[in-house]
Amino acid sequence: MPAPSTGPDNPLALVVQSSGENQGPVLRSFDHSVPPPITRLALSWSRGNTLRVSLFRQRLPTSSESSADSAIAFAANDGKVGGRVVELKVSNGGSEIDDALWRRISYGSASPFALLQNRKNSVLALSKVPIASLSNVEWWEYVMEYSKEIGSLLGDSKQFPSSMIDDPRRILKDVKESTGLKAGWELIEIFYADKLSQAWLPERLVDWLADYDCIFSQTLTTIHSKLVDIQNELIVFQATEDNPKYWEGISSALAVGWLDIVVKLLRLHGSYLPDQIGLREIENGLVEAVAILISKMPRLRPKLVAAQLGDCYKNKPDFSAAREKWRGQLTKLECSSFWIQCGHNQTREGLRNLIRIMLGDIDSLSASTYNWPEFYISQLLFVRPFTVGMEGMYNLAQKCIQLKPVSRLHSLLGMLIGILGENTEVVLAECSRVFGPWMVAHAIELLTAGSDQSQFILQEERHNLGGLTIEELNRIVYAQVLASHPLTWQLAPIYLISCAKLGMGFMEMLLYRQPVQHYQGLLKNLEFCRLYDLDHVNSSIMKIAGMHHWKHGRKGFAIFWLQQAQDHVCLNKIAQQLFDFVGKSVSCESFKQWEGLIELLGSNAKTAGGLDFLHKYRDFKKFLQQVHDGKTNDAARQAVESLVKLMKNPSTPQRFWLPLLHDSVKLLMWSDGPLLNVSQTNLLLNKLQELSVAKLRPDYVEADLPPQALSSVRLALATNLGRAILEE
Amino acid sequence: MSKSVATFDHGTLCSEWNYCAQRLATGSINGILAIFDALDPDSSSFNCSNRTKVHDGSIAKVVWIPPEFGDAVACILDNGALSLWEEVAQDGQSPHWKLCKCFQMKSRRVLDIQFGFSSTSLKLVAAYSDGYVRVYELQDPLELANWQLQAEFQNVIDSVSKFGKASCSSASVSWIPQRTNNQLLSFVLGYNSNIAQLNSSKVWEFDQAHQRWLPVAELASPGDNGDQVYAVAWAPNIGRPYEIVAVASQKGIALWHVALHPEVDGRLPVEKVTLLSCHEEEVWQMEWDMSGMTLATTGSDGLVRLWQSNLNGVWHEEAVFQPTSST
Repeated sequence: MPAPSTGPDNPLALVVQSSGENQGPVLRSFDHSVPPPITRLALSWSRGNTLRVSLFRQRLPTSSESSADSAIAFAANDGKVGGRVVELKVSNGGSEIDDALWRRISYGSASPFALLQNRKNSVLALSKVPIASLSNVEWWEYVMEYSKEIGSLLGDSKQFPSSMIDDPRRILKDVKESTGLKAGWELIEIFYADKLSQAWLPERLVDWLADYDCIFSQTLTTIHSKLVDIQNELIVFQATEDNPKYWEGISSALAVGWLDIVVKLLRLHGSYLPDQIGLREIENGLVEAVAILISKMPRLRPKLVAAQLGDCYKNKPDFSAAREKWRGQLTKLECSSFWIQCGHNQTREGLRNLIRIMLGDIDSLSASTYNWPEFYISQLLFVRPFTVGMEGMYNLAQKCIQLKPVSRLHSLLGMLIGILGENTEVVLAECSRVFGPWMVAHAIELLTAGSDQSQFILQEERHNLGGLTIEELNRIVYAQVLASHPLTWQLAPIYLISCAKLGMGFMEMLLYRQPVQHYQGLLKNLEFCRLYDLDHVNSSIMKIAGMHHWKHGRKGFAIFWLQQAQDHVCLNKIAQQLFDFVGKSVSCESFKQWEGLIELLGSNAKTAGGLDFLHKYRDFKKFLQQVHDGKTNDAARQAVESLVKLMKNPSTPQRFWLPLLHDSVKLLMWSDGPLLNVSQTNLLLNKLQELSVAKLRPDYVEADLPPQALSSVRLALATNLGRAILEE
Repeated sequence: MSKSVATFDHGTLCSEWNYCAQRLATGSINGILAIFDALDPDSSSFNCSNRTKVHDGSIAKVVWIPPEFGDAVACILDNGALSLWEEVAQDGQSPHWKLCKCFQMKSRRVLDIQFGFSSTSLKLVAAYSDGYVRVYELQDPLELANWQLQAEFQNVIDSVSKFGKASCSSASVSWIPQRTNNQLLSFVLGYNSNIAQLNSSKVWEFDQAHQRWLPVAELASPGDNGDQVYAVAWAPNIGRPYEIVAVASQKGIALWHVALHPEVDGRLPVEKVTLLSCHEEEVWQMEWDMSGMTLATTGSDGLVRLWQSNLNGVWHEEAVFQPTSST
């Protein structure tokens, strides 16, 4: 599958951007390996949004050029390729995830998406009010269930950083490759979907940064990158407390709330070594006192996960009281006389810096963090833990950005600013630009669930989009990406069905453009048509299949599919072709073959006028064959009945009257007695009379019969009539 | 980002993919019609499966017939004739391409053709070098040999006017893409000729009641002065309340909104929504994607450009692809 794209690789991404400013086209080159010159290009859209470009070396001769000129030009190209078709994925793969993983994500996310849509439809059907206005707790649970399921597809939840038991000098866990996609998804989940997290947003952000700070290391200096350096040094060097980087690492980790790392690092302090007992007791006591205070830090959150440290408080009053008490302990420790007795300068200053950080000293926090998100988190943790409301969080973020600007804005940070600024369009545009159509199509479910304003923006019909909503547009864009690959196109209907306006139109086009030559694929395609009541496309597909088989000599298959398509025009034309066999000798070898075709054409004569005749003619011919094979009088009698039926039937074409009668000469002169009564014979004679009148008309078609056919029929009829009169 | 899916024989002049992008037909300077197929339906590597000599001169353009009528292509030949070829097979034998029909008119060349069909009929619109459009209708869906000339008219909005001695170097036809609920037969046509009135693109619609073709809209602004039209492309409509048609002339690519329903005078209200400047001299081809939201174009600057509209309805150039060769 062409992976949902990232960045400027995805032209469709910008469809969803609200900005009217022209940022200029993205220029990309593609290699075609055709020797120059290229004289002409041709374009064709393939599946979904794959573009095929034909490159030609040969120039079309102009009308003034002679054929000799053309021949010379042609000879000049001899021995080289004449050009090539190159397939361009206009929505290119994400740089961090390969195609196979994208397919897994695509398949994995389709079912939670469909389930959520079903639930949404049933809730709407029951309540008749917009989803966002529902105070239904159950609905939030559904959205979270969806979000968690999608989140789990994007990678395992990472507990970074965390302490390791086996090696005390390894402070960072080897994390699996973190994806920006997962980080982005979680960010949206925190702010839009998880209603329960609204009360402790700052702590949710602390956890989020702990998981994904490593992603920013690719473009920025981060605490994570610094800790990686320190860890590498710790493995080599002893006497850690003499190393300034050790104290920098501890204070940085503390500033962003990675308490378990801080405590682990503190316990690597040299004063804990067995050979130091009796020498550095005060120093060791201070280190341990700080470590205890850190591990007892009050936190406004319902619970801690894994190795996280601190004391949890679910409500603000309890938290506030505990925090005051804790800060009192910090202040008391800061003023303690034990610091004078601490002989190790770096330890004394390092520990006091940690206390200042915990007391919310801005300078210390600023010095310990490397970019605005880290600084922002440190402020939320130690300075303004009671920050509530998006406005407050946004204003704080703005201040942090001013104080610690980053040289290159990471895409996730752009998204975070958009979220804090409550600007749905920016969030969506960033989402689309960075993560592509998959992310947008799925994240909109969270955005619309979490905010009335977002819901309004995303579900408002837009005239400029031909009546589409942004929500629907993004589903269609994603469906087009899915349609680009034979292994994923079947997922596209799941997203199209949830686009009330234009989804079905797109689905019709998608299904119509699937190849019909392969039986399994054809059946699958028809199954979709049935599922979504697309009768018109259904019959088009069956007609295409029928015609393909007809032209390729598989007439039985062809008739089957044309009947399924109820294509009466074609079926009648086929019946017309079978007429050509009428009047041929009964011993004709093709009898069996066309008899089979008539059988296939079925007995539903009303659907096709010509078929009625053919069926009766088939029966007649069968009985006649039996007569010729020497079968009994019964066969002859049945043959005559069929003949009379045929001649009475108005759908029997006039041009076949004489051949039919000519075939029946033997029956008319049946040795065991007349098979036709007087009125039946008169009927046939009348037909013969009509035929002689018709002969005078210019459009009369002469049957391909021996010249004496007419006279032999007339004689046979006269014989039969005479004998019938005698018998009656 | 890109990969080669097929390699042409030398001398190849034109190519066209079929409706499901699983077969490719090419025409060459020595009159060879080549068909490319993939071995596996999921594969995107195509090899030549058949070569048929269809003409002594060159093939200027190939166009697939709608799949409801089999696997067949129409070839516009350098002598101005049009020949129809279809793939057929007898029981158990391998398929071959046979000539069904040749349209040839003295001293008039076919410049462009396109097929359009409704549930009842297949129509072929051919734009000729004498400025006349001829619409042929297939008589028997099973026999591509039986065509009847249904209409003949010039590409002018005022059906009374007639322009003689037109000299047309190229033309471009585009049918309204097929839709379920739309049995409308309609196409847009523009000319590159020496007569201003012929050039501007007109939307033609088949009047079922009177069995005639009527010009229902002209896609030209007062300042266009009958500019020569290089290419036209009617966008697929998956449910918009208006149609979009792209028209390329020397001024650039104009995008037109065409209303779905006519006014009292029978004309369709039209509005030029944008004029996109591009491709230096001439636009060779324009192709809409299946959603009708992205337009791909190519022209004499040798680049491929993608155009899209943003949420405010402002069209802009989204991406440019430049072909390069490492050999």
